[in-house]
Amino acid sequence: MTDAALRSGAPLDGSKLAVLTARFEGIARKMANTLHRTGRSGILTIARDFSCVVLTAQHELLATAESLPNHVLRGPEIMTRAMTDNHPVLKRGDAFLHNSPYHGCTHPADHSILVPVIDDNGRHRFTVLAKAHQADCGNSLPTTYMGAATDVYAEGALIFPAVKVQTDYQHVMDVIRMCRMRIRVPEQWWGDYLATLGAARVGEREIMALGREIGWDRLDAYARQWFDYSESRMVDVIRALPAGRVTRSSTHDAFPGTPAEGVTITATVEVKPEEALIEVDMRDNPDCLPNGLNLSEACALSTPMIGIFNSIDHTVPKNEGSFRRIRIHLRDGCVVGRPRHPTSCSVATTNIADRVANAVQAAIADLADGLGQAETGALIPPSCGVVSGVHDGKPFVNEVYLGCTGGAGTPWTDGWLTILHVGNAGMCYQDSIEVDELRHPLFVRTRRLIPDSEGAGRFRGALGAYSEFSPVGCAMTVAYVSDGNLNAATGARGGHAGAPSAQYRRRADGTLEPVPACAEVVIGPDEAMVSISGGGGGYGRPEEREPERVAHDVREGWIAAGRAEAVYRVALTAEGRVDPAATARLRAATAA
Amino acid sequence: MGLRFAVDTGGTFTDLMVASEDGRLAMFKASTTPADPVAGLIDSLALAAAAAGEPLASYLARGDVLVHGTTHAINAIVTGNTARTAFLTTEGHPDTLVFREGGRIEPFNFTVPYPEPYVPRALTFEVPERIMADGRVRTPLDEAAVVAILERVRAAGAEAIAVCLLWSVVNPAHETAVGALIERHLPGIPYTLSHRINPSIREYRRASSTAIDASLKPVMGAYMRGLESRLREAGFKGRVLVVTSQGGVMDAASVAEAPVHLINSGPSMAPVAAKAYAGGTAEETLIVGDSGGTTFDVSLVRRGRIPRSREIWLGQPFRSAMTGMPSVDVKSIGAGGGSIAWVDAGGLLHVGPISAGARPGPACYGRGGTRPTLTDAAVTLGFIDAGFFLGGKMTLDEPAAVEAIRRDVADPLGLSVDAAAEAIVALATEHMVQAIMDITVNQGIDPAEATFVAGGGAAGLNCVAIARRLGCRRVVVTEAGAALSASGALISDLTAHHQAMFHTLSGRFDRDGVNRTLADLEAACDAFAAGPGAGASAVEIHWSSEARYADQAWEIEVPLARARFETEADLAALIDDFHRMHQDIFAVSDPGAEIEAVGWNAEVRCRIGTGQPGRLAATDRPARLPARAVRFLGTEARAEVEVWRLESIREGVVIAGPAIIESDFTSIVLDPGARAHRDGSGNLVIAL
Repeated sequence: MTDAALRSGAPLDGSKLAVLTARFEGIARKMANTLHRTGRSGILTIARDFSCVVLTAQHELLATAESLPNHVLRGPEIMTRAMTDNHPVLKRGDAFLHNSPYHGCTHPADHSILVPVIDDNGRHRFTVLAKAHQADCGNSLPTTYMGAATDVYAEGALIFPAVKVQTDYQHVMDVIRMCRMRIRVPEQWWGDYLATLGAARVGEREIMALGREIGWDRLDAYARQWFDYSESRMVDVIRALPAGRVTRSSTHDAFPGTPAEGVTITATVEVKPEEALIEVDMRDNPDCLPNGLNLSEACALSTPMIGIFNSIDHTVPKNEGSFRRIRIHLRDGCVVGRPRHPTSCSVATTNIADRVANAVQAAIADLADGLGQAETGALIPPSCGVVSGVHDGKPFVNEVYLGCTGGAGTPWTDGWLTILHVGNAGMCYQDSIEVDELRHPLFVRTRRLIPDSEGAGRFRGALGAYSEFSPVGCAMTVAYVSDGNLNAATGARGGHAGAPSAQYRRRADGTLEPVPACAEVVIGPDEAMVSISGGGGGYGRPEEREPERVAHDVREGWIAAGRAEAVYRVALTAEGRVDPAATARLRAATAA
Repeated sequence: MGLRFAVDTGGTFTDLMVASEDGRLAMFKASTTPADPVAGLIDSLALAAAAAGEPLASYLARGDVLVHGTTHAINAIVTGNTARTAFLTTEGHPDTLVFREGGRIEPFNFTVPYPEPYVPRALTFEVPERIMADGRVRTPLDEAAVVAILERVRAAGAEAIAVCLLWSVVNPAHETAVGALIERHLPGIPYTLSHRINPSIREYRRASSTAIDASLKPVMGAYMRGLESRLREAGFKGRVLVVTSQGGVMDAASVAEAPVHLINSGPSMAPVAAKAYAGGTAEETLIVGDSGGTTFDVSLVRRGRIPRSREIWLGQPFRSAMTGMPSVDVKSIGAGGGSIAWVDAGGLLHVGPISAGARPGPACYGRGGTRPTLTDAAVTLGFIDAGFFLGGKMTLDEPAAVEAIRRDVADPLGLSVDAAAEAIVALATEHMVQAIMDITVNQGIDPAEATFVAGGGAAGLNCVAIARRLGCRRVVVTEAGAALSASGALISDLTAHHQAMFHTLSGRFDRDGVNRTLADLEAACDAFAAGPGAGASAVEIHWSSEARYADQAWEIEVPLARARFETEADLAALIDDFHRMHQDIFAVSDPGAEIEAVGWNAEVRCRIGTGQPGRLAATDRPARLPARAVRFLGTEARAEVEVWRLESIREGVVIAGPAIIESDFTSIVLDPGARAHRDGSGNLVIAL
């Protein structure tokens, strides 16, 4: 397809749509590649905790490349609206810093740069957004996950509700200086800021070139048609679903600031094929809590969508068009809703958020076989905690990824082992033990999967992970917020729950001492931190699992032979092969 | 000097380049025979012998060297024909191959299962031992336990053993001891020690290299022995060399001892060829697109250097195992002549990644394929002459191509067949452009400043369109570009790559320790030069360090100007070069910051041929072919255009697009506005 054909007034056919889609997705990917290769902190360059998207000037999500689901599905459109509301006159060269959970950002640790793309006539055409989780955001404690913060004041982060940080491509140094006075390791923050800004500027430059090549009105027409195509794909998918209304709940363990029984999150999912609509009602939930677990509006909107999109044909594009067929009902002042300032949303992207996505996908599973997913294991165990201390007079601090698994059983596959948590979808990386031991005074005694910890099912959940690590020649603080000690990931459609998470201190004498789920624990040089992450829930009854898969799991040591027989009702021969006749008898007895 | 052969076995075709005694080149293509690739290799040699009018045996007897690029290693992995391999690892860490390094693509796609570990957990054994980051032994090796493990390995029916212990790269004592125990208790079983095959930090990558290597030893040993003996039977008496992932060649017998080097055997030669044949100036950056039947491979030559990467996957990224070996950085996407075009339920066009491959092949091949492909679109538009494919060796069924496109693309989209075919080429072009942008962004290269070198049989179809989208001003199709990798293999050097880990900081630089490491590497290079490299016309060692800023996670490879650090100036030079390279690749640098060097590399290159690119034999066939009607991208109707024969175009003749330039092996589409001429080396140079 040629420029001339693209510029012509006719509606775009399926081939022109495909080419422009590849180009917009390419722009979002180029932004992401730029951020990944220029970022400074480990959380960006190792864990890859960032996202890059393109929106229209009408605040519609257009292209996301391979972003983290809970970063981008919803919220970016609220953030761009905050930008245009607060700055009615946008000029080329402007850039805005945004991390306000009260104005569409996920949580204050996710510093985002918004750049409006302004055409040669001064008209705002698109907005590019680059969002990056910071190693530090100026909280009152050296962690970006302030689970016990009673409000945003106790949290302590600087909040930027779409604040201008560049005019005419020049930094507004007042804002930069404020950040440098508040954020720990300011050089690292500055490096990450430049990388994020650079990614947004790359996106701006590419869209400017595309607009000049194709024509801005033509790009607008493309966006309309792409949304219509995406909506039509979503309509087809929903029309094929069974009608129904299901309420599911998922309970977060008790933490400081929660009721003693924990926080039960309830989601009501209604599928209306005749209207080609899915509605999720999140209003029947507790009011905001006096801690950092509350969801921002962005997370309250995105996480039910994660549950929905995890449950249907993955080829439906995720953008404003397909979103037209989803309605999320929220209320003000709710833990899963629209939080009022100064409610803290410090941990908005993981703990309660995962309970929302899990409840929604498990509810969809209740509608019919072949839909939805089981629950994914919970975060944040000590193996993904922030370790810090002083060694040889030099301070060290870093978030580690030493083994966290938890993928949920699905209608198609066993749980993806390294999913990390449902909102992340496995996009982040796991640490190399050698690299961690080289960078920090750390010794990793063990990292292994835990046999029999999977949620059994037709498609089983991922096994949980065991890790044990010690400081070398100093004491070490490990900060974490580990949900799932009491409320493990549940199964769906007869699938079983995964094993719960747990955490211990291994004392010098080798004995294990339980430690709290939400804590900063100091581990001595002759002690070890023991972290157990939860297994994922299973999908479908274990007796429906293909016997060959069960035999494979036994052979690999993932499950014991006794469990194969007792739970999966599969009999194996002495050589470990499936005994079809005995298996049939076992399964017939179960069915009876 | 006798004949020199280079044979590249691809997914669809086996390409042969022959350099004769007087330096003239000849090119041949035979069909690949997947069940027995050596048969296709010998077929291609038979074509050459026939063209020379000689019996195969006497023709081959004139041969000095045969260089082979092969996909046999990767095919053995894909088809599960590798050895049953046991994996020995440090106690407490049995799941290194299971966890890998995390990461995923397509966050909402749960239909793709998590990959099985390269070695099953059932064949994984934990060895009681532990070495610390500084090389200190924390837990001594329990040799009795190892002997018991080896008994279980034997009982499990393992045919090969991979050993990767934590920190063996700092202190190899435990791995070496395990190796000795294997030789004593399981004599004859092939095994690989991680610190020998890939002495680099990051246990997953090293373990993966080790496991892949061990598992390939039996099958690649057999392949190499079979290759040599069948070539000998056919009459070849010269040296048999094989292309490695690092862009060099090794003796067939020695590569059988380290077969992990063969994973990217074929594609690694494309940038080597581009550099030699289309090199231009030392400051020039080349983007190399090698387009065959099933894949489009992108690689780079950045100011004379070919960038390397360790992130080479056996299959799709994050859905397979990583080789972890330093290799020529090649990005492959499923876009080739066989890529299938289809329209989804919402009316959106897709091209690939499903491919019709060689079988059943495009609809126009008449081998049972019914779905329209990129090749079918090229035939429909008139890019390819259906009656003169591969120089007339194969006749294409044009009506079948037209019908497939009408049924699957034109009708669903409401387009004419020509417009639908154009749309297929345009979308495939966009996919290739995006693949190029990914690799250039990651290497910090601006495509607009680069020359696009197009190789492979399908490259000419859209090389001008790709270059235009990238903003390149110059496209080069080398004279032997249709067999780009084979032409690179013909002039490549005998190469060995040696690496070692030694950690030091620029602020407290351990000069003696680094120099000891470099001396060890040099000794290994010298031994190679005196052994396999004996008789080379030139020997060079290329030095580099893998270094990073002290707080960074990933290293970059920085060339060293000298073999030792003798003065402060030598260290200053490394530091300067590091900052400059970092600025080049990442667009930022931090001149005040401390640098941390982690690894050291020495690549020894022994020149065995002339190293000079040759020329195809001249032809006296007429330069002009009958004109034909072609629909170009971005035009609304067909135009009757000139058709030129590539090898007969004389130097100095300028051809203005629209035109088609074709040879027996490829068809080059010269879009309106582009101008082409042949330079003194026979390259077709296209100015945009």
